[in-house]
Amino acid sequence: MHTTTRRQFLQRLGLSAAVLPFLPSLPSLAQGSAPTRPQRLIFMFTPNGTIPPEFWPDQAGADFQFKRILAPLEPFKNRTLTLKGVSNKIRGDGDGHMRGISCLLTAHELFPGNIQGGSDKPAGWAKNISIDQEIKNFLQSNPATATRFGSLELGVGVPNRADPWTRKVYGGPNQPLAPLSDPYAVFEKLYGQMKDREHLGSVLDEVRDDLRLVGAHLGAEERALLDQHAQFVREMESDLKSADTTRLLFPPPALEPGVALDNDGIPKISTMQTDLLVNAFANGFARVASLQFTNSVGQARMRWLGVDEGHHGLSHEPDDNLKAQEDLVKINTWFCEQLADLARKLDAIPEPGGEGTLLDNTTIVWCNELGKGNSHTLDNIPFCLVGGGLGFKTGQALQFDNVPHNRLWLSIAHAFGHPLPTFGHPDHSASGPLALA
Amino acid sequence: MLVAATAEPAVDGAAIYSRHCLECHGASGEGVAGKADDMLAGDRSLESLARYIDRNMPEDNPDAIGAEESQRVAAYIYDAFYSPAARARLNPPELAVVRLTNRQFRESVADLLGSFESPLPPGPPTGLNAVYHESDGMNKKARQIAAREDRRLEFDFGEGAPVLGCSPQQYSIAWQGSLLAPRTGWHEFRLTTPNGARFYLNGDFRPGDGNRRDDSAAQRMPALIDAWVASGNTDRVETVRVFLLGGRAYPIRLDYFKYMDRRGAVKLEWRQPDAAWEVLAAPYLSPAPARHVTVVSTDFPADDASEGYERGTAVNKAWHEATTRAALEAANLILARLPRLSGADDDAPDRLENLRLFLATLAERAFRRPLSEDDRRFFVERCFADGLAPDLAVKRSVLLILKSPRFLYPDLGRADDAWAVAGRLALDAWDSLPDAALRDAAASGQLQTPDQVRTQARRLMDDPRAKAKLGEFFRVWLALDKGRDLRKDGEAYPGFDETLVADMRRSLELFVDQVVWNEKADYRDLLQADYLLLNDRLAAFYGVPAPGAGSDEFVPVRLNADQRAGVITHPFVLASHSYFKETSPIHRGVYLTRQILGRALKPPPQAILFEDEHFDPTLTTREKVAAITSKETCMACHVTINPLGFSLEHFDAVGRFRTIDNHKPVDPASSFDTAEGETIPLRGPRDVAAHAATAASARRGFIRQLFHSFVKQPAAAYGPDTLDQLDASFLASGHHIRQLAAEITALVAVRAGQSAKQASR
Repeated sequence: MHTTTRRQFLQRLGLSAAVLPFLPSLPSLAQGSAPTRPQRLIFMFTPNGTIPPEFWPDQAGADFQFKRILAPLEPFKNRTLTLKGVSNKIRGDGDGHMRGISCLLTAHELFPGNIQGGSDKPAGWAKNISIDQEIKNFLQSNPATATRFGSLELGVGVPNRADPWTRKVYGGPNQPLAPLSDPYAVFEKLYGQMKDREHLGSVLDEVRDDLRLVGAHLGAEERALLDQHAQFVREMESDLKSADTTRLLFPPPALEPGVALDNDGIPKISTMQTDLLVNAFANGFARVASLQFTNSVGQARMRWLGVDEGHHGLSHEPDDNLKAQEDLVKINTWFCEQLADLARKLDAIPEPGGEGTLLDNTTIVWCNELGKGNSHTLDNIPFCLVGGGLGFKTGQALQFDNVPHNRLWLSIAHAFGHPLPTFGHPDHSASGPLALA
Repeated sequence: MLVAATAEPAVDGAAIYSRHCLECHGASGEGVAGKADDMLAGDRSLESLARYIDRNMPEDNPDAIGAEESQRVAAYIYDAFYSPAARARLNPPELAVVRLTNRQFRESVADLLGSFESPLPPGPPTGLNAVYHESDGMNKKARQIAAREDRRLEFDFGEGAPVLGCSPQQYSIAWQGSLLAPRTGWHEFRLTTPNGARFYLNGDFRPGDGNRRDDSAAQRMPALIDAWVASGNTDRVETVRVFLLGGRAYPIRLDYFKYMDRRGAVKLEWRQPDAAWEVLAAPYLSPAPARHVTVVSTDFPADDASEGYERGTAVNKAWHEATTRAALEAANLILARLPRLSGADDDAPDRLENLRLFLATLAERAFRRPLSEDDRRFFVERCFADGLAPDLAVKRSVLLILKSPRFLYPDLGRADDAWAVAGRLALDAWDSLPDAALRDAAASGQLQTPDQVRTQARRLMDDPRAKAKLGEFFRVWLALDKGRDLRKDGEAYPGFDETLVADMRRSLELFVDQVVWNEKADYRDLLQADYLLLNDRLAAFYGVPAPGAGSDEFVPVRLNADQRAGVITHPFVLASHSYFKETSPIHRGVYLTRQILGRALKPPPQAILFEDEHFDPTLTTREKVAAITSKETCMACHVTINPLGFSLEHFDAVGRFRTIDNHKPVDPASSFDTAEGETIPLRGPRDVAAHAATAASARRGFIRQLFHSFVKQPAAAYGPDTLDQLDASFLASGHHIRQLAAEITALVAVRAGQSAKQASR
């Protein structure tokens, strides 16, 4: 347990760690007044499919009722869009789980490889960039929409393992990007420079005391050198003071210290990652993000819900195992609560220099590796969109006729003013973007 | 002139000086602006000085003083201010106040943190432990097929099995042990495989890590290169850059598996600083385990090397910022491994108490002496006082400790107690902090007598850290960095490429290692050995039968043995002191004068470019050099440089033996004026080596250079007899290099404190 409470980001830095330079001031953190409203995008991933009858509204159109799983979204109902009938049609090497996650945002096949699940053909990484990175690159290529990080890849309970079951974001073919699952590491990434300055600022005074104390016992020549040294300490103090550390629009969130990065820590980690993500968006660090809960075949044991069995194990239980179905509803409802929490926090922050709230300019796409756990189907992926970032017509439950999800990603690209003709596998982009606006 | 010519010859050297020399050279040889700018000082012998004066002085009328008078005035000048002894008397060098050099900072931090873990002895440099398994399914180790030692991390199993009796479809291999890195700096590693592999370096291995499932180590340790997923049936190449400290062993592990891929292959290469890519292999690998090393990789501004050795005299803003960044980096590295270092588990009830104890110990080891109660309050207790979270309190305390002058300035006040002695011993022998044995000796009164100090100094010299420090000395002494980016004319020297240069450098380093680390450690062998260490590639290039041991094995070969003389004729030295196509007797001569004979040279009075095309095309290189340096002002130094450089003319620009230069027979012979005042014939490199191995001036030059490299202060600052003492013990030891280093270390450890006492009286 102890190794997991230690901040793993430091371990990851390993021996080749280069400390972030602390003297150059932080890049411009607040966005200037952009001519158009900012658009933001978040992909939230959860594994093992859903329980369809408790997820999909019975009605189609604007007049619909949430079922149990989506009930936490009630406050955002008019800003929610459910998309039934959108399917991941990517086939080829790899088992359903691997394709479920690794082909989800990439919408293309996997390369042949050495990673095998079940008796399917072994496979490697995805052949395509993922849609979030495609959008990020598009935004970063324009100075008006570029941000410090472009995108943030966050995880909650993602195991420390790189394989096609744990990666959904790809910078390009064969380029999986690891989500940061350690909130302390995320904090370090976002605010590390600032924190290091604070630590330094707090000791420099004492360093000068020390130099004076030591110097008092020395001869003139040595004392002169230490005086010179003290001068540099003073200069650093004033550099630190003049460095603009107050330019953040929103102060960094206060993280609870010492949260264990293990299964039971997941609820707290989820809250911390959500806070960090919202804060980073508010401060204009990025406009694209992903939040990945565990992994494909994820085995979270949600003891905090009274569910002791692992999530994936439960998802294999047949429909007539009512206890298991009930547990899976609890699990998926809890995921939806995390989504609602994210939406609520985004909605609590007024758009800096603009109108409405962050949520009005952000779309959260909740997606899943599978449609349904016990059949392993990639049809009817439970897509649920919350927020106004893409200008889609929300407040409705839409029904499509088994369309490839490539077209959903096209819709998103087009909504960003990036009119891609196709995305991902060439067979699945026909008919272009889904009509969502 | 008439008056001067008829005057009685002056009897007294001082009188001759004031009559003929003072006007241009000043009362004490300090020089007169516009007439003789340079100070009259040097290391010519009295005889050589007299001869020079007789021939050349006074400049406007060399006949004004004859041989007899020249003798007298030379004797006067020599004792009054010219000779090194006179200079030391007139202007005794002083100890500079110094901070840690960059190397000392990094080494000290590594040992500071290393001191909290039990040490492991370095293992034999023979390869890595390898365990071969057949897999169940994708990569579950099912059946151990073989356990053996592998020398070289390059395997191509094709479509077959890696070892007999194993499935060719599904198998895994784990290689584990330690990496022995001889050099300090940025290293690159490159992993190539069409299959799955993970490369771990400098992690914290624990018993049982990574043995049942191929990737179980990954759960606890971040891989430096993660290429676990094969993708696309092609070789995947991944590269990573890591800063390593030379002379240390690093834990290393390579996990590999093949599952259903068409073919099996894996290769791990590395590139050491200033070297070519090569497959990672023995002698840089050992099956023995090693401990994690805390490596600070922050960039520092280069240390002052204007005196010919790196020393910590520059205290400026850039250095202060670098040490601050380095302190932050170290603090973060410490936090990452805090439970292991402090022994304080995160949820232990006595965690705070243990953390305080850890920090107090850290401070006293960093400061090289016990902590007073006040110090303890300042560096430890106060950090916890503001109710800071424990991790932040630790970070603050570490920053205070590593930014303290008590750490950064290793010998402030030059105390005369046992702790100061221990600190100096470790600094001079290792560039680092005292180890447990030294601390114990200091605490228990075992560092009082010169013998006790010498015993410790000798012990320190047996440590890999001393080997690394000696390596640093030889890097400078052999001008190894000059061979960086060594290139030669491809037409004249086909096959002279990056790999060959790396082999040459390694051959030289191995040769020096063999001489220095055998029992005799005889300085004269460095100069007079008549063999070269060659691998197959070098043997082919130099046209001798391959010793047959492959490219990793270097074997002694006698190649033109009657013409070779240790480092003097090592191909790397010869090639790095040559032009692109031609030799350079001037560069070679300057190198021999300064490094091998330990003599001082003034900068040339005028810079002359050696432009080959401006010479008569029928001249030999020697003839060209003789022509271009024939002026009297040049010959003041070239009388020394040229004979030495010409003696190596039998070796071309890549160090191959030759008898013809530009269609004429090579002439390596000259006569040479030694610093002792003799004139000796030099017929080739073996005469140079014989002179260097026997002449007191050359030997003392070597001692002085080693002293500066180790101590980073002028030798004479420790007393006018410092070099005499060291020379006497060096002779008595049979020219034993490591004992010399130990003597230097011991002498300085004792005398630094004494000289401070004398100064304060």
